[in-house]
Amino acid sequence: MIEIKNLKTSVEEKKILTGLNLKINKGEVHAIMGPNGSGKSTLSYALSGKEGYDVTGEILFKNKNLLELNTEERAQSGIFLAFQYPIEIPGVFTNNFLRTSLNSIRKSKNQKELNAIDFLKLVKEKSKSLKINQEMLSRPLNVGFSGGEKKRNEILQMALIEPEFVIMDETDSGLDIDALKIVSNGVNALRNSERSFLIITHYQRLLNYIKPDFVHVLSNGKIVESGDWKLALELENDGYGKYLN
Amino acid sequence: MSQITSEIEKCFANLVNNNELKDVNERKEEFKKFKNIGIPNNKSENWKYSSLVNDINEFSDLKITNKRQKINFKKSLLDLNHDKIFLVDGALYDAELNQEGIKLSELKNFKKIENNNSLTYLNNAFARDGFQLEVSENLKVKKPIIIYNYFTENLSPFSFINIKNSFILNENSELVIYFNNIFLSDKKYFCNNVTNIDVKNKAVLKKYLSHEHNKNSSLYNFYNINISEHAKFEYFNYIQDTFSCRDEIYANLNGSNSFVSLINLENLNQNYNHESKWIINHNKPNTKSSQFLKSALHDKSSCVFQGKIFVDSVAQKTDGYQLSRALLLSDLSKFTAKPELEIYADDVKCSHGSSSGSVDEESLFYLRSRGINEKDAKKMMIEGFLAESISKITDKTFQEIFLNKLALSNEY
Repeated sequence: MIEIKNLKTSVEEKKILTGLNLKINKGEVHAIMGPNGSGKSTLSYALSGKEGYDVTGEILFKNKNLLELNTEERAQSGIFLAFQYPIEIPGVFTNNFLRTSLNSIRKSKNQKELNAIDFLKLVKEKSKSLKINQEMLSRPLNVGFSGGEKKRNEILQMALIEPEFVIMDETDSGLDIDALKIVSNGVNALRNSERSFLIITHYQRLLNYIKPDFVHVLSNGKIVESGDWKLALELENDGYGKYLN
Repeated sequence: MSQITSEIEKCFANLVNNNELKDVNERKEEFKKFKNIGIPNNKSENWKYSSLVNDINEFSDLKITNKRQKINFKKSLLDLNHDKIFLVDGALYDAELNQEGIKLSELKNFKKIENNNSLTYLNNAFARDGFQLEVSENLKVKKPIIIYNYFTENLSPFSFINIKNSFILNENSELVIYFNNIFLSDKKYFCNNVTNIDVKNKAVLKKYLSHEHNKNSSLYNFYNINISEHAKFEYFNYIQDTFSCRDEIYANLNGSNSFVSLINLENLNQNYNHESKWIINHNKPNTKSSQFLKSALHDKSSCVFQGKIFVDSVAQKTDGYQLSRALLLSDLSKFTAKPELEIYADDVKCSHGSSSGSVDEESLFYLRSRGINEKDAKKMMIEGFLAESISKITDKTFQEIFLNKLALSNEY
C-alpha cells in the first residue's frame, strides 16, 4: 500500500527525519511511538504534503511517488491526516466544509457530486455512532468545539471520505476515557482489509482500544526498533530512555 | 476661490433665481457656510485618507439634471414578500406601500442637518430631491420595505446631485428597510446623499444597504442618526467593488439604554476602494454601541476605516465595542485604520481592536488536506471571513439574502 524509502526532512536547515524507512501493507495498522521531538508530527506532515519542509527520499503510494503531488492531490488519491489540533475556521460552516471536501474528492475520482439532500442523509447516518448532532454541524468549523468534539469531527470526515491510508496524529491527546472509546470505535469500524492506518502516539493507552499489527519506535528521525503490539507495553513500562543516546 | 467652488456658485445662483423656491434665505445661509470651509481637501485630518476629495475636484462642469428615465423595475425586484419604494436619480418615483401607518412624502423643501461639514452645508443649500418615511407609534411593520435606488443613464456627465432622505420611527415602532442601490449609468457623476434618522423611544430600525459596482460615480453618504431611550438602530452595508465612495455616520445615543450596531462587509477587487468614518456619541448613561467591519482586499484595492467612540461625562455605564479586520490578499492591497476613543466618564467599558493579515496558512493546509483545491479553499476562507459580518445581522431573512449574494459574488 505505502512504502517510505530513506525519507529525510528539514526545516530551515534543521534536520528532523534522517532517513526513515517503513512499509505498510493493505489492511495493516501500524503504530509509531516516540519521545517528544523525535519527528512524529513531521512524518505526518511529510506524508500529507504540508508546505515549508524540505523533503527528500521516496513515498510510494499505489505506485505513485507522493512527493510529486500537492496536498489536495494526495488527499484526492486516498491519504487522510487526522490532525492533532484540528484548525478552527470562523465563518466556514462545518456542513458546508464537509460537503465541499467530499465532493472535491468524488469529483477527482469522476464520481457524481452529492446534492444537499443526499449529503445530509449520508452525514446523518455517519454521525450517529460518533454521537455528533446536527447542531454541531451547523456551527462554524471547529470553532468553540470541545477537544472531544474536534476529534470526533475528524473521525466523521474520515468516515465520509473513506480514505485508503489514514494517518492519525496523536488523536488520543486531550480526550477523556468516554471520548477515547467513541473515537476508537469510530476508527475500528473503518478497519478493513483494504484500508491501512498509521497511528502516531506518545502513549500505549490508545493502542488498548485500537490494536496495532506493528509498533515502531521513532527516535532522532529514524525508526530504531520495530515489533508487535507487545513493544508498546514494554515502552509503557521502560520509557524511551534507552533510545535517547 | 477654487475653480470648482466658483462653478458651484454659478449653479447656486441659477437655483436661487428660481421663483418657485420659497426657502431661498435659508439656503443662502447654508451656502455661505459651505463657502467658508470650501471643498474638502486632504490637508484636513477628517479627509486625510480620502480618495473622494481628489475626485470631487473633477466635477468642474456642474449640471443639475431634471430628466427622468423609464426603467424596467421588474428586473430588480427581490423574490420576497415586501413593500417597495422606487427612486430614480435621487427623486421619489413610485411606491407600493400596502401597510397601514406608514407615511411616505417627498422632501422638496429646505431641511437643515447640523454638522460642521462643507458637503452637508452644500446639501442643505441645494437638496430638492428625496423623501421622508414615517412609521406611526406602536406599529411593528410586518413586511420589510425595499428601496430600489436607480442611478440612470440620464445623469449628464459630471452631474452633481444632492439628495436628502429622512426616516422617522415613532415610539415603540419597528421597521426593516433595505436600500438597494442600482448603478445603471457609466457616466461620471457625484452624489451627495444626506440621511437623517430619528429612532424614537423603544423603536427599532434595521437598515440594510448594498453598494455594488458604482461604475464611474463618486458617492458621499452622510448619516445623522438620533437614537432615543430604549431604542435600537442596526446598520449593515454590503460593499462590493466600489470606488470613490465615502460613508460618514454620526450615531447619537441620546437616550439611556439605547443601542446602535454598525456593520460593514467589504469585498474589493482591482483598484477599488471604500472609506468609512463612523462616530458614535454616547450622550446618556447605560448606552451600548458596536462597530464591526470586515474587509477582503484583493489586487490593488484599499479600504480606510476611521471609527470613533465618544463618551460624554454623564454617560456612565457605557459599553462601546469596535473591531475592524482586513484580509490582505495581495502585496499591493492596503488597509488604513484609525480607531479613536474619547472618554469623559469614569465607569465605562470600551474596547477597540484592528488587525490586518493574509490568509492563515494552517487553515489553508487543513482545507487542502481534505481534498479541496487551493483556489476553492481560499475562496471558502474569504467567504467565511466576510460571512462573520453577515452573522451580526439580526434579521434572519436578510442574513440569508446577503449570504447568497456573497456566495454568488465569488463565482469566477
